[in-house]
Amino acid sequence: MALLEARELSKSFGALTAVNAVNLRIEPGTLHSIIGPNGAGKTTLFNLLTGQFAPSAGRILFDGRDITGTRAHRIAHLGLARSFQRTNVFPAFTLLDNVWVAAFACSRSWRGLLWRRTESYAGVSAQARQALNDVGLIAKQSELAREISHGEQRQLELAIALAAAPRVLLLDEPAAGLSPEETRRMVALVRALKGRYTIVLIEHKMDIIMSVSDRISVMHFGSLIAEGTPAEIQRNPEVRRAYLGGMAA
Amino acid sequence: MKQPLVLVLAAVVLLPLVVRHAIATEIWIFAIFGLGLNLLLGYTGLLSFGQATFFGSAAYVAGYLLKYYGIGIFTALGVGIGVGALSALVVGYLCVQRAGLYFIMLTFALNQLFYFIAYQWTSVTGGEDGMPGIPRPALLGIDFRQPLAYYVLVSALFLLSLWAMQRIVESPLGKILQAIRENEVRAEALGYNVPRFKLLAFVIGGAFSGFAGVLYAMLFGIVPLEAIGFVFSGNVVFATLIGGSGSLYGPIIGSLVFIWLSESVSVLWARWPLLLGVAFVIVVLFFRGGVVEAWSRIWRFSKRAS
Repeated sequence: MALLEARELSKSFGALTAVNAVNLRIEPGTLHSIIGPNGAGKTTLFNLLTGQFAPSAGRILFDGRDITGTRAHRIAHLGLARSFQRTNVFPAFTLLDNVWVAAFACSRSWRGLLWRRTESYAGVSAQARQALNDVGLIAKQSELAREISHGEQRQLELAIALAAAPRVLLLDEPAAGLSPEETRRMVALVRALKGRYTIVLIEHKMDIIMSVSDRISVMHFGSLIAEGTPAEIQRNPEVRRAYLGGMAA
Repeated sequence: MKQPLVLVLAAVVLLPLVVRHAIATEIWIFAIFGLGLNLLLGYTGLLSFGQATFFGSAAYVAGYLLKYYGIGIFTALGVGIGVGALSALVVGYLCVQRAGLYFIMLTFALNQLFYFIAYQWTSVTGGEDGMPGIPRPALLGIDFRQPLAYYVLVSALFLLSLWAMQRIVESPLGKILQAIRENEVRAEALGYNVPRFKLLAFVIGGAFSGFAGVLYAMLFGIVPLEAIGFVFSGNVVFATLIGGSGSLYGPIIGSLVFIWLSESVSVLWARWPLLLGVAFVIVVLFFRGGVVEAWSRIWRFSKRAS
């Protein structure tokens, strides 16, 4: 059974249909990529899946449960965590505090919310450090998020999503704006996370997509036009026409 | 961390030697009021122009019960906390639905609503004349009509409030509120019900305001209509910004500066708010972190120089 499923999911903004009757099934334990040209509706699809926007039509199922219309903060508690395309961290916080609030959000109990000291939540702090360690930022845990490099902020962005210990990880262009060297590191990171989490990945860089994905869905003008393994997608003539254009011919 | 606390303790001891007891008492009451506001302003990033709603409502209700039902000091303070929190729950519920300018205007508009209720309801509040004759009941044989005795009580309660607020801002709640200030969208995506947390900040801030309101009513023996007016709401914002909204101690320093200026200099010079205006312009232009930031910059500069 699919862990995360979209059925005939649509979203319109006025006359523009950003997401058009999308059917998507994410199998547990896989890395499922969503590709498509700019403006194809990939990020809008993420916003629908994580409850940022309410869909205009269609349904979303998580673990067999209908979560359509559930608000973002509730969806996070069900075990869906996302990273953002544009870095979306807490700039005045230290790196550790950035991941700490993420880990606390989904911790089992909020007892002592108003009076316990944050350091006294040993489990939450350990989970937060683990997330920083996973992305290789543990040495900088006391630095402020606004003072680290763009590449490191992208890693932090990922760490915040990881800190919630999610069941499904939705990554929106984790390598956006990274140098080739930083991109290589990010790819290695995503590859290391593969298998530990069910991952849905939006990415533009084709070499990344082809090397890490189990399955790929292709979006074009709000609709899914193809789905399959990387090899199938590369062979698909419709995808070549729509997405790869003349380049791949 | 310890250093500011030592300074506060020193100020509590020394202040009654420098200024009249009533002024010294008013400073710590206003500081409690500022602590409550700053949970919203400094920590959550919400500018509330309606804190007098909670301050005044609590002062009226507790004042009425003190006057006509002879309740004790701690009962009155408990009532004040309750009324402050409850009125903040109602006002906050309506305000947190909106953001930015609309939020600010709503806090202001609801403050005006409460003000005009107090203005019209003369049989209870006394309208423009205020509600006079509020007693300071004795407790355990201590006569709090003695200015110094009341000063000691208020400063002890102020230190208790400071301690409570410190616990709150260092708790997970404090961190979550700051996360909301820094990035509301991300906080929501992480699993925090942002409007609910803003409301919680409102209720806690309202409880502090109500607590301060009752102490204020007992200090002057009257609840003046101004205690629920928007000028009063503005004053606490003003004082907190001058002190520094980025720090736990900012509103305390702000209260010291503001009350001392308004009570001492106003006697010498009727145009004293001009001074305040100049101080405010300097803060906004050069020291966004208020006196706290100015002080730490001078501190760093002097260390480098030596």
